[in-house]
Amino acid sequence: MFKRILVEDWASVLQIGSFLILFTVFLVSAVRAIRLRPEERKRLAALPLDPSEPDR
Amino acid sequence: MTSTRITYDDKTVRLFLIASLGWGIVGMVVGLLCAAQLSWWQMNGKFLETISFGLFQGDGLAYLTFGRLRPLHTNAVIFAFVGNMMFAGIYYSTQRLCKARTASDLLSKIHFWGWQSIILAAAITLPAGLTRGKEYAELIWPINVAVAAIWIVFAVNFFLTLARRNEPSLYVALWFYIATILTVAMLYVVNHLSLPTSLTHSYPVFGGLQDALVQWWYGHNAVAFFLTTPILGIMYYFLPKAAGRPVYSYRLSIIHFWSLVFIYIWAGPHHLLHTSLPRWLQMLGMLFSLMLWAPSWGGMLNGLLTLRGAWDKLRTDPVIKFFAAGVTFYGMATFEGPLLSIRAVNQLSHYTDWTIGHVHLGALGWNGFMAAGMFYWLAPRLWRTKLWSANLANMHFWIGLVGILLYVGAMWTAGILQGLMLGETNPDGTTLKYEFVETLKSIQPEYIFRSIGGGMFLLGFLLCGINLWMTARQGTAHDETVEVAVAASAHDEMPVKAALLGRPVVLLLLGLAFIVLWLLLPPHSDKAALFLAFLLVVTAVRAFRREGRQWNDWHERLLHNYLPFTALVAVAAVIGGAVQIIPSLIVNREKNVEGRLQELYTPLELAGRDLYVSEGCYNCHSQMIRTLRPDVMRYGRAGHADDFSHLGESLYDHPFQWGSKRTGPDLAREGGPLAAGSTLVRSGKRDNKWHWFHFRNPRWANADSNMPAYPWLFEEKTDFKSLPNKIAVQRRLGVPYPAMSADEIRQNAIEQGQAIAATLFQGEAPVSYEPMGDATPEQLTAAFAERKVIALTAYMQKLGAYREIPVTTPPKPVPLDPDSYRRRPPAAVTQEGSPVTTTTTTQR
Repeated sequence: MFKRILVEDWASVLQIGSFLILFTVFLVSAVRAIRLRPEERKRLAALPLDPSEPDR
Repeated sequence: MTSTRITYDDKTVRLFLIASLGWGIVGMVVGLLCAAQLSWWQMNGKFLETISFGLFQGDGLAYLTFGRLRPLHTNAVIFAFVGNMMFAGIYYSTQRLCKARTASDLLSKIHFWGWQSIILAAAITLPAGLTRGKEYAELIWPINVAVAAIWIVFAVNFFLTLARRNEPSLYVALWFYIATILTVAMLYVVNHLSLPTSLTHSYPVFGGLQDALVQWWYGHNAVAFFLTTPILGIMYYFLPKAAGRPVYSYRLSIIHFWSLVFIYIWAGPHHLLHTSLPRWLQMLGMLFSLMLWAPSWGGMLNGLLTLRGAWDKLRTDPVIKFFAAGVTFYGMATFEGPLLSIRAVNQLSHYTDWTIGHVHLGALGWNGFMAAGMFYWLAPRLWRTKLWSANLANMHFWIGLVGILLYVGAMWTAGILQGLMLGETNPDGTTLKYEFVETLKSIQPEYIFRSIGGGMFLLGFLLCGINLWMTARQGTAHDETVEVAVAASAHDEMPVKAALLGRPVVLLLLGLAFIVLWLLLPPHSDKAALFLAFLLVVTAVRAFRREGRQWNDWHERLLHNYLPFTALVAVAAVIGGAVQIIPSLIVNREKNVEGRLQELYTPLELAGRDLYVSEGCYNCHSQMIRTLRPDVMRYGRAGHADDFSHLGESLYDHPFQWGSKRTGPDLAREGGPLAAGSTLVRSGKRDNKWHWFHFRNPRWANADSNMPAYPWLFEEKTDFKSLPNKIAVQRRLGVPYPAMSADEIRQNAIEQGQAIAATLFQGEAPVSYEPMGDATPEQLTAAFAERKVIALTAYMQKLGAYREIPVTTPPKPVPLDPDSYRRRPPAAVTQEGSPVTTTTTTQR
């Protein structure tokens, strides 16, 4: 499985492979973030500001 | 809706806060001493003569040398200062975000006191010279075991708190904490795998290239997952609290988290650019480092934009000041990091103070200022009072800010200047223009500015300590009690299996797997893999159109289920590690040594190597001639083409000693061949007498040297008793030592010691040793044969010794050539198809 890693042209395909992986992760997380329901998004963003904890 | 009354455990938070501040000041004081040592060699112990009014006499004190104190500084700042600060922030925010008290007070106590005991043990063992010899992983194996145990206690306490939470949703700060706990555990365990030789000493299971790769996979991600992700979690919690408004974009925080966690783990190899690390790994490290620009800046912008509408508070609120500057420094440091990972830039910056400037931009600016902001926000709440003096906090801010800028500016200037000088040649281009020590001398003014900057930063934290102390005194320790709603909606009902085997995950992982197979498989099978990847994409699109709503629900359910979420984070972290580590296990085999195979150390040389590690010589000296012309010109041997460090030259080094900073010159070719007519004494770049005088007083060799003197090496005996066990462990690690009895090992060491000592005390122009002024040359030879200076000299004279391995028959596919642009030596090219034969010749 790893034999291509040991050959010289590995470095030349690496850029494409790594970019593809990153782009997939980025795309999936972006889609998930965009599709988050607005009311849920607002509720989550306000969690640290929960009024049950009084500020001084 | 039912509600319940909760009293948070704020005592643990207070303890961690105080510990962070206290240890932080200790770590900074040690750092300041280290900085001064680089300007004035007397700070390695000789200054004690003055302050003790002559009670202490000597050119140096072992416990105070730079090589031993620098690891204490880095460990104290990372694990004691930032570690305790991180725990304070996590314990405080996790309880509030979960609306639940920490699961177990007992575990919290064990965590706190266990962690402080570990720090105390480190503060004792590191100056004593007990070290594993790997940066930020120096602590000896019993302490490593304790760290792992305490980390598990922390993790259990944290996850139990998540399990008992009254808030169904997991806020993004908790995601970062989860990633921290999981990934640090994985990195720490793998990089600390060792075989003990005694209670205080061990050898890492990895050697040479493998050890280098594992070390920097760990070292880089210690920055990522110990100094960055937990502080980002703290930023996402405390910044909105301080600004009084929600995070700018929760969507952006989701993208920030997943991109950062996934990419960071891949970037470690950028610490090894231009070394004998295979080129594809170097490229991998560089590319993923460049990709880090996006999520890092996404996070920084999210933090700064959270302050929108609250910028007026910058004028009055020191907390906002510290947070705004801290996040800005995060942006600067994460811009500079990828920049330094570009091979062309790294060529100049690596091994210089530019890297030190970069690290401190993050440590002082990001970690230090975020810590200060959090402390000033927490203290009035933990002691139920107002901050004692906002003016003093403001003064801390300005003194610290100027200190950081002075420090970082000085290090940038020093690094770039020295890097340029080291690479500059005379007009004919055949010789280098500057001696190493000339470049060191030229950056001395910057070193002094660095000490001033660091001193100012320390002064700021002393003011912080006074301010918090007075705040605590005027208030009373207070554990907050609140009424919280008990979670009404369902959470934590999703099985881990359902999350990991959910259709989105399975399709994504399979798709990625087939794309990787397309890259790796031979012709035709790769096309099949590509076709299958295409089919999976089509399947995914059709499934999404059919069940898109369920996929959406799956993700939202994930945010309410901590165990499946944790499992997915683990998958993301493990993939990046496995891709780098597994191939390196294949690479580091003897057939892939680039034609050079390291010669084994004799018992005495091995003892000398352990002394080299113990004294922390790797903190200033590298053993890696990079594949760069200036490096080869400066450190390579005349008449040897392409005399950079080859992969096989450090194959048996447990631990590797390639180094990361050159305060002194590279030592990869310091040694040499056996002297004519001798089987025990080597003739390196410099003779044994040179090393004798140099270890006693480096200024004898060069007046501008800032290296410490090592008088104790002349007085203390080498530990020969432990050698049989050490060699037995080396054999178990795969170092091909022949079978030797304990007596043979000891005899061999003494004979070589005597032979080297004889070259010093007998023959022409013998050296003298004042404390034994009446001794005959024979007595001196017998006495010094077992002393540390001789063992260390033996090691120095062995550095760079290797045997040439003409590898024949490049098979198909062509076996590893770690850097494809390197020229293969003519001897290595032979007829294709002939059997692989390995012949050994003595090179040196």
